[in-house]
Formats: sequence, structure tokens, C-alpha cells
Amino acid sequence: MLDAETEDLLRRLTPQVLGAVTRGYGHFALAEDATQEALLAAARQWPRDGVPDDPKGWLIVVAARRLTDLLRAEQARRRREEVVARWTPAAIEPAPAGDRPAEVDDTLLVVFMCCHPSLSVTSQIALTLRAVGGLTVAEIARALLTSEETVTRRITRAKRSIRDSGVPFARPAGEASRLDAVLRVLYLIFNEGYAGTSGTELLRPALAEEAIRLTRTLHSLLPDHREATGLLALMLLVHARHRARSAADGSLVPMAEQDRDLWDRTAIEEGVDLITEALPQGPTGPYQLQAAIAAVHDEAPTAEATDWPQIVALYGVLLGLDDGPVVALNHAVAVSMVDGPDAGLTLLGELEADRRMATNRRFHAVRAHLLEQRGDRVAARRAYETAAGLATNTEQQRYLQERIKRLK
Amino acid sequence: MKYMILTYGSQQDYEAFTGRPSGERAWTKEDWTALAKFMKSFNQELADSGELVETRGLATPVHSRRVRLQEGVPVVTDGPYAESEEVLAGYWVVECESFDRATEIAARLTDCPGPEAERARAYVDVRPIDEHQPDFEG
Repeated sequence: MLDAETEDLLRRLTPQVLGAVTRGYGHFALAEDATQEALLAAARQWPRDGVPDDPKGWLIVVAARRLTDLLRAEQARRRREEVVARWTPAAIEPAPAGDRPAEVDDTLLVVFMCCHPSLSVTSQIALTLRAVGGLTVAEIARALLTSEETVTRRITRAKRSIRDSGVPFARPAGEASRLDAVLRVLYLIFNEGYAGTSGTELLRPALAEEAIRLTRTLHSLLPDHREATGLLALMLLVHARHRARSAADGSLVPMAEQDRDLWDRTAIEEGVDLITEALPQGPTGPYQLQAAIAAVHDEAPTAEATDWPQIVALYGVLLGLDDGPVVALNHAVAVSMVDGPDAGLTLLGELEADRRMATNRRFHAVRAHLLEQRGDRVAARRAYETAAGLATNTEQQRYLQERIKRLK
Repeated sequence: MKYMILTYGSQQDYEAFTGRPSGERAWTKEDWTALAKFMKSFNQELADSGELVETRGLATPVHSRRVRLQEGVPVVTDGPYAESEEVLAGYWVVECESFDRATEIAARLTDCPGPEAERARAYVDVRPIDEHQPDFEG
């Protein structure tokens, strides 16, 4: 068995080894398999023989050797099938003069590769967790509540697309938009860990923590990228509440009823520091705004002391950048906290025309909650029932049924 | 004058060389140690005599790319060699007084230890390096 420190080291080195081998010998898809095999070899040998003096160098040598074997097998197979691997080299822009250490760039290049736009989002997530996060297929399957076969299929498909599209292992053109895709993948991994869409386990902190670790890596590579900073702050500020978020019986506890003593003060402090530093530097982005909102919640000593006018203002800015149902709903909730349930219901009324709302569980749950607040029990119950019909998570289901019972 | 001394090997040779059976007898740990010892002293002597410019060994042939123009576009072929095809495996650049001296150096490589079958098959080439623009006649 590996001790936590060695495991941590191996996972941190994973993208660096993969990056070095791909840069040196090409064949990203095979190099990824070779890197995994080198990690396995290390997990077998290091506990017995001790960690080598240059662990990264050791892994690169072993991975390169494995790549040779894999390549040889592949080329022999191709020759039997009389297929020749031909491709046209893409123009690679020379990397900017070495102002960053090599391993840093390699990790970033691997991240870009895994979040390549030619891949589906599910493939991006699976490949990122494996190639950047160093998780095994079994671990990814557990984290994503899916089967190992599904994960393997997603990874295989992703690597085939990468191979067929001939993506060079280099800084991509249009780096800014590619970074948006990377942040989105990390955000999705975090959300997936925070509240699964199915299954009985409401919180999967291991996955959320993995998302935080990966985002922290990205932030350390790109300290001046303010949305990366914002995303890290957002994750820390939301995850800080995870211990208070579920009751002893596993049921969901709404933020207003959470025991704030269970909130992680260290994480809150770090998140607040990050967002305080990022925000004043110019035009802001959605992750920074969401982090700022999370910070307002986290800094309130009690639910009653929450600075709702501040939250309304932040959602107002966020609405200008993101008109999706989640932001619109949260804005309506915040408005109802400042101006009362009628003001919130008026906003929801305006949203009702949006097609995305009809099937949105939260829309109906929020509406039910506001109707209940103004004493309209019958309408509230009906709205809770609609929400319950749309809920996929058993914990959400239980919470909504509880509400319905109270209104009977 | 400068000369290049070239050695050759196929993918199969490389595999036998790294201890993997591929038809012929694989190299043993002892073969390896003997080879490493031989090469070390060979290179050291050349360095001491001031004749060694540089020497390099090339990675196994599966890690090769061939680039050629196809319909006006450069096209890369991965792993262009057949398993038994002999390709450049390593070289020395030496600077010495004559072709004969360079050949004498190359001939010493036939003393290199290794499995007999391989030693019987192996050869080295010696080629003068052209350091001047060739005269263009016409």
C-alpha cells in the first residue's frame, strides 16, 4: 500500500510525466497508457524499494520504455493489417520564451489536450480525471457513479478523437477560449462531486476535493487568470459548508438551517482572500461573481445577518453575463429575501415563459417555498408536488416530500 | 579530416539487445556489462587521443517518423521501418589524420563483445564528412 504522501506525489507527477513523454516521443494516446503503467509499477515497487531520488525521472524512463512496447505492438498489428499511420504535421507556434519551468507547461498542455473541443464533455471529464488527476478507471467510475466500462469507453473514445484530429502537443491557438473550456470541465467535476444528479449519496466530497486540487494546480500555473482564481475561490467557499450540508440521517440541510460552526473557516478565509484579490482588478467574470456571492453567505454569522441587498446586487451583475435559469432563480430568491415573497414571485412569473423553467425542479421548489411564505398553502403544495415529480436525487426527493406532508 | 563511423541495427536487434527474445538469443546481463565496459574504454581512448568529436546512440526504430512530400503537403509516416530492416543505430564523428586511421578506429569495434550470431552479422561503415562545398561543374 502506498502512504498518502507518495500517492500525492504520484498524482501530482502524473500530468508532468505524461507531458514529458508526449513531448519527447509523441503518441499522446499511447503515452497516456504508458504513464498509467509507470504509475502502477511505482505503486508496486516504491513501497518495497523506497522512493527513487528522482521520482519524476524514474517515471519518465519507465513510461518511455512502456511506450516503446506499446508502439511496437501497435506497429506490428498495423503491418499485419497493412495500414500505415500517416498524418500531416500542424504548424506549431514556437512556445513563448521560457519564462515558465518546463513541467509547468507540460501539465497545462495535458489539461488543454484533455479538454479539447473535439471531445464530448463526459469524455473531457473522464480523461481529465485520469490524465491530469491520476485517478484509476475504477476510482473515476466510483466518483462519477458509473461503471468502469463506461469510463473506459469515454476515455478510449476521447483518445481516439485526439489521435485522429492530429492535435499537436503545444499551446493551442485561441488559448483564452480553450481555457474557458478547461474551467468549465473543472466546474462540472466539482458540481458532480457536490451534488450528484442521481444515486443516494448526496455529497461526494472526494470528487469535489479532486476538483479543488486540479483547480489549485491551474491557478498556480496561471496566477493572473482571474476567472481561474474566481473558480478556485468559488469551490473553496462552497465546499467549506459541506459538513453542515447534510444531517446525520443523510438528508439535505438548507443553508438557512445549517450549523455554521461546522463551516470550514480556513477554506472560507482562503476563498475570501482569493476573491478579494481578484475582484478589483477590472471587468469581472461569472466565476468571480459567484465566488463573491458565496463569500457574502460564508461571512454572515447567522442566516438572518446575511447581507441580501449585496447578494441581489451581485446577482444583478451576474444576470448580465449569464441569463441561464440557475442565476435567474437565485436572483429571484435573493430579491424575495430583501423585498418579500411577492417580489420574488413576480420575478418567477416573468421567468415562467422561459421554456427551460417548465422542467426545472428548482424553479418549482423555489416557487413553492415563496407561496408557502405568503401563506398560500394549496398552491405551495401543488408546486412542491411538481418539483418532486422532477427530482432525480433521492435526498431532494425526500426533502420535497417532507414539505408536502407539512402542508397537508 | 572528419569521418563518420556508423553502426546499424533492426527493431529485432534492439529487442534482443534489451533482453527480449525475438528469434535470436537475447542479450544477457553479462553481455550488457561487457558491452558497456568495452564502449566506455573505447570512447575514453578516443577522447584521450583528441580524435573524438561526438558519439550518439539512437532510440529504438519504432520511435521514428518519416516525412515526405505527398501531393504538395508534407506527410509524416509513423514507424516507417519493417521489423528486420536495418537502420542507423548510432554513430561516432572522429577527427583524425587519414581515412586509414578512421578505418583502424572503426575496425576496433569488431572486438565489441556480444552474442556470436550478432557479432558475425554486424558491420560498421566509415564515411568521410564533406566539410567543403562540392565544386559545381558545368
